[in-house]
Amino acid sequence: MSIFSCNQIHKSYQTGCLKHTRKKALTDVSFQVKQREVFGIIGLNGAGKSTILKIFMAFVKPDKGTVSINDQPVASKGSHQSIGYLPEHPSLYPHLSIKEHLQFGCRVAGLSAQEEKKRIQTALETVDLTEVAKMPIRGFSKGMTQRAALAYTILLKPEILILDEPMSGLDPLGRQLVLDIIQEYHDRGATILFCSHILTDVERICDRIGIMHQGQLVSVVTADSLDKDYVSTSTKGSQTPLEHYFLNTVRTEIS
Amino acid sequence: MNSILPIAVITFKEGLRRRVLYGVMVASLLLILFAVLISGLFMRDILKVMVDICLSSISLGGLLVPFFLAINLLAGDIENRTIYTLLARNISRSSYILGKFLGLAMLTGIIIIILMIATLVAIYCATLIYPAHNFLHFTLSPLFISTLMAFLGVLVLNSTVLLWCSVTTSSFLATLLTLSTYIIGHSVEDVVRFMNLKNTGVEISPMIQATAKAVLYIFPNLAAFDLKQQAAYSLPFVSQEITLLGLYGLSYISIMLFLAIFFFKRRDLP
Repeated sequence: MSIFSCNQIHKSYQTGCLKHTRKKALTDVSFQVKQREVFGIIGLNGAGKSTILKIFMAFVKPDKGTVSINDQPVASKGSHQSIGYLPEHPSLYPHLSIKEHLQFGCRVAGLSAQEEKKRIQTALETVDLTEVAKMPIRGFSKGMTQRAALAYTILLKPEILILDEPMSGLDPLGRQLVLDIIQEYHDRGATILFCSHILTDVERICDRIGIMHQGQLVSVVTADSLDKDYVSTSTKGSQTPLEHYFLNTVRTEIS
Repeated sequence: MNSILPIAVITFKEGLRRRVLYGVMVASLLLILFAVLISGLFMRDILKVMVDICLSSISLGGLLVPFFLAINLLAGDIENRTIYTLLARNISRSSYILGKFLGLAMLTGIIIIILMIATLVAIYCATLIYPAHNFLHFTLSPLFISTLMAFLGVLVLNSTVLLWCSVTTSSFLATLLTLSTYIIGHSVEDVVRFMNLKNTGVEISPMIQATAKAVLYIFPNLAAFDLKQQAAYSLPFVSQEITLLGLYGLSYISIMLFLAIFFFKRRDLP
């Protein structure tokens, strides 16, 4: 069963002072992500990775093509019921505390007071922010804000995660924490779609990896085939299998 | 629709903590002091001057919300991408707009209530200082009705802020459009009235007259919500007029919110 499905999606943005020019962001992108799969999207800056995730979140509408989650069109009511989304640069309300954000998340979901307390405590403990739960977000470092946003993302224990650069701005400990959370959700059977620049992390946790270049999905590989391909090639230097494959693919596309 | 109230509450809390409320408290204390002291200079018009200053301060305090808070809280949500945090929780865009409006209405309400209390304290202080005959004609109802209408006027402006934030991509543009709405809303009625006057000695082309009339119908007539003069002179209000004004305000707000939702649902949030 496909959880994420996009079929021949095209997207362009109007740019310029008078919005008279159009810049292509995505061209004919199609892929499916099966249940319990971790699908990573990698690519250079401006390749269209985040746009895909935003289309799945219905923040951006594609010009052409169909996009669905759990076989429901993304624009339909309730299609995002069990999704946790972490944006690229998470922004929370600076004058509110993480606890207040989490309370908001619980109230929107209609949880009881008892359940709310339990969920908030669990989320805070998971990201190790219990001690600063009542501190306004504006006093947080970038890494703490990222962890706070992650707590908000996993608050309702979603079955589907969409993570846009979840490791950005994190120190090694924070990065490990995020990787552990993704792994935990993967083990629990969640379906995860995420994009990242940190190829070693992508390699560690993804079942399949899609490579984007200039708005096109140029290649999709499984983590296993990547290892075999890497073993069969001779000169790699200090590159990991994914780095090697990614650089080769992108160079081929450029030339 | 269950998410409207949580959004309103989060908007209200975020707005309160932006320290604007502290500014309003200080301004209200100054208002008490200023109104009590200065009204003594106007011999026979002590009450009129006091009510006038106090109601002007209430209107000014209310205007803090659309100009300083609403645009920050709405366009800021889109610019800083805080909106993703909200919409990712399976919240519809219409609930977002309605929740924001309700939160802003709560903020406007609390500011106006604080200033209203300050006004009543100021009037009470004045009765202790100045001779009693100055306050013989004083009744509370014109003051309350005038404040209520000022509140409605600010809500109308808040709803236009929502519309501008839904169609524009920058807070600067939204501020500019809101400012234009405010200026037009306060002056267009006078302009049309002047055009309708005979023997003004000014030749006005029919096209300009038609444009001014169209602007009068498109933009909110904010001057209509300004009832300071009636309240200052303790003139009785005609209930039919107040009802009509209330209906006009509520209808205008509904149309603005409908349009804001219409445009906001169709826009990309890249």
